[in-house]
Amino acid sequence: MAINYLASISRYVPELLSVVIMVGLVLIESCYDNSERKKGFFYAATFIGLLFVFINLCVSLTEAPSAIFTNSMVIDPFSTLVKIIMVLGTMAAIYLSKESKDIYGSLKSEFAIMTIGVMIGGMILASANNLLMVYIGIETLSILSYALASFKKNEERSSEAGLKYSLYGGISSGVMLFGMSHIFGMLGSIQFPEIMAGLYELSTFETAVLIPSFIMFFAGIGYKIACVPFHMWAPDVYEGSPLPVTAFFSIVPKVAGMAVLLRVTMVFFGQEGALQVSWVGILSVVAALTMTVGNVSAIGQRSVKRMLAFSSISHAGMMMMGVVVVSEIGTRSILFYSITYLFMTLVAFFITSFVADKYGNDHFERFSGLIKRYPMMTIMMSIVMFSLAGMPPLSGFVAKFNILSALLSEKYYILALIAVLNSVVSLYYYMKIIRLMVFREVESMEPIVGFGALNQSIIMTMTVPVVMIGIFWSGIMHLTEGASIFLGK
Amino acid sequence: MITLSSYLAISFLLFVCGIAVMIARKNIIAILLGVELILNSCAINFVAYTRFVNNNLDGHIMSLFIIIIAAAEAAVGLAIVIRFFQIRESIHIDDATQLLQ
Repeated sequence: MAINYLASISRYVPELLSVVIMVGLVLIESCYDNSERKKGFFYAATFIGLLFVFINLCVSLTEAPSAIFTNSMVIDPFSTLVKIIMVLGTMAAIYLSKESKDIYGSLKSEFAIMTIGVMIGGMILASANNLLMVYIGIETLSILSYALASFKKNEERSSEAGLKYSLYGGISSGVMLFGMSHIFGMLGSIQFPEIMAGLYELSTFETAVLIPSFIMFFAGIGYKIACVPFHMWAPDVYEGSPLPVTAFFSIVPKVAGMAVLLRVTMVFFGQEGALQVSWVGILSVVAALTMTVGNVSAIGQRSVKRMLAFSSISHAGMMMMGVVVVSEIGTRSILFYSITYLFMTLVAFFITSFVADKYGNDHFERFSGLIKRYPMMTIMMSIVMFSLAGMPPLSGFVAKFNILSALLSEKYYILALIAVLNSVVSLYYYMKIIRLMVFREVESMEPIVGFGALNQSIIMTMTVPVVMIGIFWSGIMHLTEGASIFLGK
Repeated sequence: MITLSSYLAISFLLFVCGIAVMIARKNIIAILLGVELILNSCAINFVAYTRFVNNNLDGHIMSLFIIIIAAAEAAVGLAIVIRFFQIRESIHIDDATQLLQ
C-alpha cells in the first residue's frame, strides 16, 4: 500500500509543486515588509515555481497513462495537456495583475496566491476519476473564484459580482451534488470505471430515472463553462471583476470545465445507446444556444471587456460542439482549440487592460486611432481579432476548421451550419474594434504607460503562436494525437 | 418502518425547500441558508443510499466532504456579504443592481 502511494505521488509532482508554491508565497507575503525587494522576490518565486511546474508537465506529456491514488485520479496525456494550458494562463494572468492598475497594489500578492489555488482546483478537475474528485475540484475552483471576483473590495460593483457568483455557484453545485447522489444510489459507486461498467446493465426504467440525474450533474459543469441556461452570472461577474480577474476567468475555469465535461461524456456516454442519444441531444442544443446567445449579446456592447466576456461564452459553445461528437477526433480538436484560444484571449485582454488603465474605462472609443500611436499593438490586436473571428490563415481558423470537420465526419450538418453562421456574426463585433483603431481620428497623443518595451515584446511573443499555429498547425495537432482520454483500469 | 424511500422523500423535501428559499427570500443570509439546505439534502441522500443499497464507504466519505466544503463555501459567502453590507448598508438582494444593464 505504501509503495502504491509513493508511486502515485511520483506521478503527482506538478500538483504538489503548485501547492508548495502557494504555501511558500503565503509565507513570503507574511514574513517580509512591503518593500520593492519583497515584490521582486515574490514574483521571482512565483514565475520560477510555475516554470518548474510547466517543465515537469511537459516532460510527463509522453508518459503512459495511469490511474493513481486508488483510481481516484487519472494522469493521462489529455489531462497533462489541459494542465499545461492552465499553467500558461495562470502565469500570464499573474503577469497582467502585476502590471495592471485595476488591482490594488496591496492585494497583488493575494491575487497570485489565489490564482494558483484556482489552478490547483482546475488540475484536480482535469484528472478527476471519481465523483468526489469532480466535486472537490469544482469547489476548489469556485470558492477561490468568488473571492477573486470581489477583489476590488471597496467598490460596489466588484462586491456585487462576487455576491452573484457565490449565490449562483452555491445553487449550481448543490444541484450537481443532488444529481450525483442519485447516480451513486443507482450505480453503487463513485468511481468512474465502476459506474461505466454498471451503466449498461440497467433496465430501461432505471435508465429513464438516471437521465434527470445526469442533467442535474450537467448543471454544475455547465455553470463553470457558462453555457446557456446557466450563463446568467457570466456577463455580470466578468463586468464587475477587475480586468486581470476577467482574463483569468475566461481561460482557466473554462478550460477545466471543458476537460471535465469531455471526460464525463467519454466515460459515461462513450458507448452507443439510449443514454448517449439523449445526452448528445441535450449537449448539441446547449452548444448551439451558447454560441448564438454569446454572439448576439456581444454585438451591442460598449465595453470591450464585456464584449470579450460574451465572445468567450460563444467560444465555449464552439468547444462544446467538439464534445457532441463523442470521439477521439472531437477531443483532439477541443485541445487544439483550447491552445489557440489561450493565446488569442490573452493578447486581447493584455491590450485592453493597458488601454483601460490609461483612460479608466474600456469603451470601444478608447481604442480610436491607436494605429497612429502604437502601430505594433494595433497590428497585434488586429491579428488576434481576425483569429478570434476565424479568418485564415490564422490559428483561429484552423481551430474552427478542426471542430467543423469533426462535426461533419459524424454527420451533424445542422450544427456545423449554425457554427459557420455564428462565425459570420462574430466577425461584425471583432471588426468594429479594428475599424475604430485604424480609421477613427486619434483622441489624444498622450502615451499609454502600459505599453512599455517589455510589455510590448511580451504581447508580441504571445501573438507569435497565434500566427505560427495557423501556418504550422500539424505540429500542435501531432501533440494532441496521443491525448485521448484514459478511462481508468 | 423507516426505509430508503422515506429518507429519499425527506431529502427531496429539503432540496425543494432550499430551492424555494433561494427563489422566495430576499435576504442574502437567508439565501445562503437555502444553499446549506440543498447541500444537506445531498448529504442525507448519500448516507441513505450507503446504508440501504450499497455496502461500501463511498457515500459516507462523500457526505463528510460535503459538510467540510459547505462550511468553506459559507465562510467565503458570508465574507462577501459583509463586504457588500459595508459598502451598500443593506443585505437585500434587490439592492444588488449595479451590474444590471
